Amino acid sequence: MPREAEPSLNEKQFVLQALQENLRLDGRELDQYRPLDLSFGDQYGVADVTLGRTRVLAKATAEVTVPYADRPLDGIFTIATELSPMTSPAFEVNRPTETEVLLSRLLEKTVRRSGALDTESLCLVAGQKCWSVRVDVHVLSHDGNLIDASCLAVVAALRHFRKPDTSMDAGVLTVYTPAEREPVPLSWLHSPFCVTWSFFGDEADIAVLDATWLEEQVRVGSCTISLNKHGEICQIAKLGGTPVDAVALLQCTSVALTKVKEFSDLLDTKLAEDLKRRDKGGFMAELRAENER
Amino acid sequence: MTATTAPEAALGILPRADGSAKYSHAGYTVTGSVNGPIEAQRRDEHAYEAHVDVIVRPAAGVGGTRERHLESILQSSLSQLILVKDFPRSLIQIVLQVENSPENDYVDTKLVQASLNFSIMPALLQTAVLALLSAAVPMRATATATAIAVAQQGDHKKTIIDPSPRDIETAHSVHVLAFTSHDELLLAESEGDFTVRDWDDVYETAKRICCRSARPKEGMAMVLDEDDVGGPDMRHFLQSTMESKVAADLHWK
Repeated sequence: MPREAEPSLNEKQFVLQALQENLRLDGRELDQYRPLDLSFGDQYGVADVTLGRTRVLAKATAEVTVPYADRPLDGIFTIATELSPMTSPAFEVNRPTETEVLLSRLLEKTVRRSGALDTESLCLVAGQKCWSVRVDVHVLSHDGNLIDASCLAVVAALRHFRKPDTSMDAGVLTVYTPAEREPVPLSWLHSPFCVTWSFFGDEADIAVLDATWLEEQVRVGSCTISLNKHGEICQIAKLGGTPVDAVALLQCTSVALTKVKEFSDLLDTKLAEDLKRRDKGGFMAELRAENER
Repeated sequence: MTATTAPEAALGILPRADGSAKYSHAGYTVTGSVNGPIEAQRRDEHAYEAHVDVIVRPAAGVGGTRERHLESILQSSLSQLILVKDFPRSLIQIVLQVENSPENDYVDTKLVQASLNFSIMPALLQTAVLALLSAAVPMRATATATAIAVAQQGDHKKTIIDPSPRDIETAHSVHVLAFTSHDELLLAESEGDFTVRDWDDVYETAKRICCRSARPKEGMAMVLDEDDVGGPDMRHFLQSTMESKVAADLHWK
């Protein structure tokens, strides 16, 4: 496969010099995101995130399996990120690149290890049956800042997802089909989002949000901060060798919180809109099997 | 979920691929991208023709034997269409990402299905053809495809165009046929029990869907269409999609 074309020396200089003058090639502020759009599919658990020219599709699915022997009370939750040649011909099937490994690691740390999904609620029969929830992340188009877009897509897909309803009766487990009972949402604890800062210049003194692919190729380092709207930080990953001033990082974190609140609001409104769209006859409240918390 | 009756398509939706298309029909939604001709790897390189690489990616789970089988069928069909001899030692890469496939509300679906899923073939082939057109890859002809199931109704058999998963479950056999724009049969895959007469019926129905001759321009078209048998007019759909795309692209002129 051909290698991705690197920006020329002139191009790099141009981007850097513009950034030193507080200008970006697409006319954005340094701490401004590209237009962000989120849409849901016809089926439950499909979220499509468009961030400028970056586009990520996430799909959540669930099936009944046997839990891991060392964790009999927990369900299984996996996030699969595989970059296809659709993203760029430089990616090969079944050969993970650095981008892919970093993306899956960060998503894992942000969504799975922060306990966003209550895996204990996925257990059906201890040690015998549990739900296995899987999210597939498909990157359709890559124009920088894959991490933030993918994280939003994963969280949106999981919050939109409904798994089939089940019941236990005298030791017999019944899984109801969608025709029999309305599927139920997952037990979701908090919604973490990623905000990625990119650093430029020899001293890493220019910090930029939502870098495009061209900017990503020029940057000296990046820092991904994952937090929820309450300001609880799930993880911070600082990549790239150039050191960044501690005070600057603190500022980055506080800006990240305002961005995360925006993401959270966007997701909440989109979910509410989607619920309204599905609730055509107004029967949704009666069909629901779950109780109000 | 409601399955769309009329096919829908959008071209050139991915900014970085050479050509791309999103196609949805009968509940299936597929996004396809085409890159090519690009440099081929040593192991894929043919001295006299381009290598056509088809990658089918399921919406959920990793691709398995089923996807490899679909890929091999598509690869051999598309190599017939693309003028591969024009691009020796190069690669034409087609990635087909399934976004949505209709679900059967009456059964619990398992993620890993060993069974074949033929009814997705027309959507995959149609997306590939649209994406290839969008990438302006030289082709001998375009192609249109359809899926048809044969089911028992009372004491005689009936053909179902674009069967739903529930139809397939009850059907005797499922067939996928594709025709080139020269009315030649490109692909014929069948599954299940059927007789030669069944197949002939299926062939006629498929040919009517895929190879309907161009409509008269205005006026009398509506009257003529009424007595036509149901099913979408795939060739006209392909033509009108391309026409509207070209019209939009040449808007500045």
